[in-house]
Amino acid sequence: MKLSSILTLLAVVATASADDYTKCYQLDDIALPNGVPPEVGGLTFSSDGWLYVCLRRSDVFRAKPGEDPKAFDWKLFASGFHNGCGIYSPEPGKILVTQMSDLTSATDTDGDGVADQYRIVADDWGLSGNYHETNTFCPDGKGGYFLAIGTASHNGSVFEHTKGEYSVFGRRGRNFSSVKNRGWILHLDKNGVITPWASGFRMANGIYTDPDGETWSGDNQGDWKPVTPFYHIEKGNFYGHPSSLVWDKNWPKDKDPLLTYRNDLDAYNKHRTEAAVLVPYTVCRSASEPIMIPRNGSFGAHYAGQYILPDNNGTRLCRIMVEKVDGVYQGMVTYLQNGGGLRSGNNRVAFSPDGKSLYVGQTVRGWGAPAEGLQRITYKGGTPFDISTIHITPDGFRLTFTGDIPDLSANSFQVSSATYQPTWVYGGVAQNKQKHSVNKLAKTDEHTVAISITDFVPEKVYEIKLPDLKAADGSLLNNNIFHYTVHKIPGASKRSGLPF
Amino acid sequence: MKNPAHALFLLFALPISAGEPITYDNLPLGSESKPLLLSTYMPDPGLDEAYFAHHGKSAKSPKYNPGTGKDIPGEYDPIKGLPASLGVSFGPALSYAFDTVECRIAYAWQGGFLDMYPYWGDPVRGSRQSYDYVPQLVGILFHKANPMSEIFVDGKRLTDLDHPKFVGYNLENGTPAFLFSRGGHEFKLKVTPNTKTPLSFSFTLSSPDKIAITYDTPNGDRTTNTLTRTVTGTALGNFQGFPRDMKIKEASVANGRKLFDGLGCSACHSVDGSLGHGPSLAGLYGSKRPIEGTQELVHADEAYILESIKNPGAKTAKGFPPNYMPPYILKDLEYQSLVLYIKSVAKGQ
Ligand code: HEC
Repeated sequence: MKLSSILTLLAVVATASADDYTKCYQLDDIALPNGVPPEVGGLTFSSDGWLYVCLRRSDVFRAKPGEDPKAFDWKLFASGFHNGCGIYSPEPGKILVTQMSDLTSATDTDGDGVADQYRIVADDWGLSGNYHETNTFCPDGKGGYFLAIGTASHNGSVFEHTKGEYSVFGRRGRNFSSVKNRGWILHLDKNGVITPWASGFRMANGIYTDPDGETWSGDNQGDWKPVTPFYHIEKGNFYGHPSSLVWDKNWPKDKDPLLTYRNDLDAYNKHRTEAAVLVPYTVCRSASEPIMIPRNGSFGAHYAGQYILPDNNGTRLCRIMVEKVDGVYQGMVTYLQNGGGLRSGNNRVAFSPDGKSLYVGQTVRGWGAPAEGLQRITYKGGTPFDISTIHITPDGFRLTFTGDIPDLSANSFQVSSATYQPTWVYGGVAQNKQKHSVNKLAKTDEHTVAISITDFVPEKVYEIKLPDLKAADGSLLNNNIFHYTVHKIPGASKRSGLPF
Repeated sequence: MKNPAHALFLLFALPISAGEPITYDNLPLGSESKPLLLSTYMPDPGLDEAYFAHHGKSAKSPKYNPGTGKDIPGEYDPIKGLPASLGVSFGPALSYAFDTVECRIAYAWQGGFLDMYPYWGDPVRGSRQSYDYVPQLVGILFHKANPMSEIFVDGKRLTDLDHPKFVGYNLENGTPAFLFSRGGHEFKLKVTPNTKTPLSFSFTLSSPDKIAITYDTPNGDRTTNTLTRTVTGTALGNFQGFPRDMKIKEASVANGRKLFDGLGCSACHSVDGSLGHGPSLAGLYGSKRPIEGTQELVHADEAYILESIKNPGAKTAKGFPPNYMPPYILKDLEYQSLVLYIKSVAKGQ
């Protein structure tokens, strides 16, 4: 064995114990052109290595990223978009942008680096004139796209004359759907055929199809969204915000969906599809674009294959792990990063082509105190002391640490649970709150410990806290609060009977 | 363009054919060589109800209390605006609204573009004006679309052809050419400023199909599937954007400078002698000014400067077109501050 490889080996062993998160992940502020409002509505990498950034007032800039965060050579590629909140480059020299009224392509046909041809690709939705009706989209992995069409807010008006048909019932309520397909996810196939896919969204500000072809979105906590949901999107489902139902061809024309479900929560609960993972308000206030951490470990093997869900209203990025139990997705949420120089307003994310850097675009302008810009988190190697996964077992959970299991006892854990019933009220309170104790604790391998929980029932969100846990070397756990949404308990047929 | 925000951009080497980026300046302005196009909500300056043939029609809606989930007394009123329009600015020479729903030029104006302040907010807080967020016009409105188009296609009014469908646009040397279909035909519409005649613009409407496109008459020749036309209007209204209280408590040079930037004068006038859309104001005060249409020089005293701001149409500075500068209705202290500032830059800075 050569000396150099021995040294490498030693280094790996040394870092395997525990590293400070900030040593493993470096945060940079990326400078956008001076004087340009850095309100990042969308960002994406093209196959030829350009980072495209769509700013909400009009412009799309691009640059080939370099190491120096202050020295990106930005070029204006396209402009004129109305609150562009989604961008994707299907081929070199061409971008697609979702703006308020449509999905538009912009192509540089003469190769001078500036788009000269703009085409409407899809506009099968209305625009009422409300300021809140932004849209975003993602590729479906099959040459088509999923489009998330936002609702309007009662903090704004509608115009006398709307783009597309107007619905009196759709106009009602806090966030509303007065024009076609607002509050829907639409599917645009590769032949340009558009199909309404799923309804019931307040503001799915971010949608993502993962490498397995599964589609995910968050939604904005608010009316009918008691906490931030992380949805697994499937065709035909209703995800809980009633206004959009006025554009469902199966919904009776003479029925006001808001009133109907306000007065009949049982019928409502039967109709709606629950979120795979619920993220309490203390963890995330306003979900934006999800993305999967590369499976190849380029961003750290310890988090590979999990999802990032950024918070548009907090200085944090959530980390979500899902698993399928009895055919239903459920799972755990904690933080990837909480604070540490990260701005609020986290809105859009993209991994660099080498998968080592996560670009995070921020904007809240028009919704809250400005938190605008572009940041980059680069994995430098090493392993933070953390819990990487939490899996469900018939009587509790199995927690896998990124390193050796520290000293643990039943008292290390504080476990509680709650349910969240969506209603017309903005946000929601935890119901059916309960404390649980850990009555058994067992190591299942060198990194994993299984705990069993008293009164363990499905259809609740379990909070698992490890307040004072330290690694053998004294370093603190990177995250010590985890929430696991239990829809199903494996091997159990019990139901809690609680409104979940 | 001489305000500091613009000056910063001179440091950036932008591609030749790219326009200037949008900044925090809420009064963006294109130019004849680099027109600015913004897809945005736009004001409705009183278009005829019948104009909106292919729009949806909204209604008043009961007020709602989100806490109780119940309606409360009162109603929400819809507001005026064009939901899906493209605003195009050629600088003070011409601005127009292309409506992507009706596929028509909704209206045109001169002497400014849009005040985005109600929508984009001020740079620091960045918040829109609550229920009054539609950008506002700046300049002199001179053309509004008639509900019935004056254009005929094979003897039928353009507006009688069904299914207007916006396709997109090409930038031809930076100038947008809109593509749409209507009545089964494809069309291309390109609008350009007409600097020879005040309050006018030119357009070319063409089709790849063998159809007659005519103006004001249903009769035409099918071999000429192109119509080029100049539209001249009359002043229909003056607009100076969103009324902003700059909180001026005394007339001073400093307040004048604040107004000069805040009201967007700096988008057209330099104070260092360099040429913009309008004459530089350096050296103006106290000079003898050549005026269009007369041999006599005018003494540029306080009265002349005041008149130039209140009623720019009264005398037009030589070498500049009329109607490029909109009249400004301001408070007395604001006029006085502007005059003081313009006096202070008389010798250049
Ligand atoms: C959209 C462009 C534009 C804007 C904005 C504008 N101006 Fe002008 N202004 C012009 C043009 C063009 C002229 C010359 C033609 C004329 O006299 O009307 C002019 C003329 C003047 C003159 C007379 C100059 C001379 O050399 O005789 C003064 C003074 C003046 N402007 C002040 C102002 C002030 C103060 C403001 C802001 C409150 C302002 N302008 C805003 C375009 C503009």
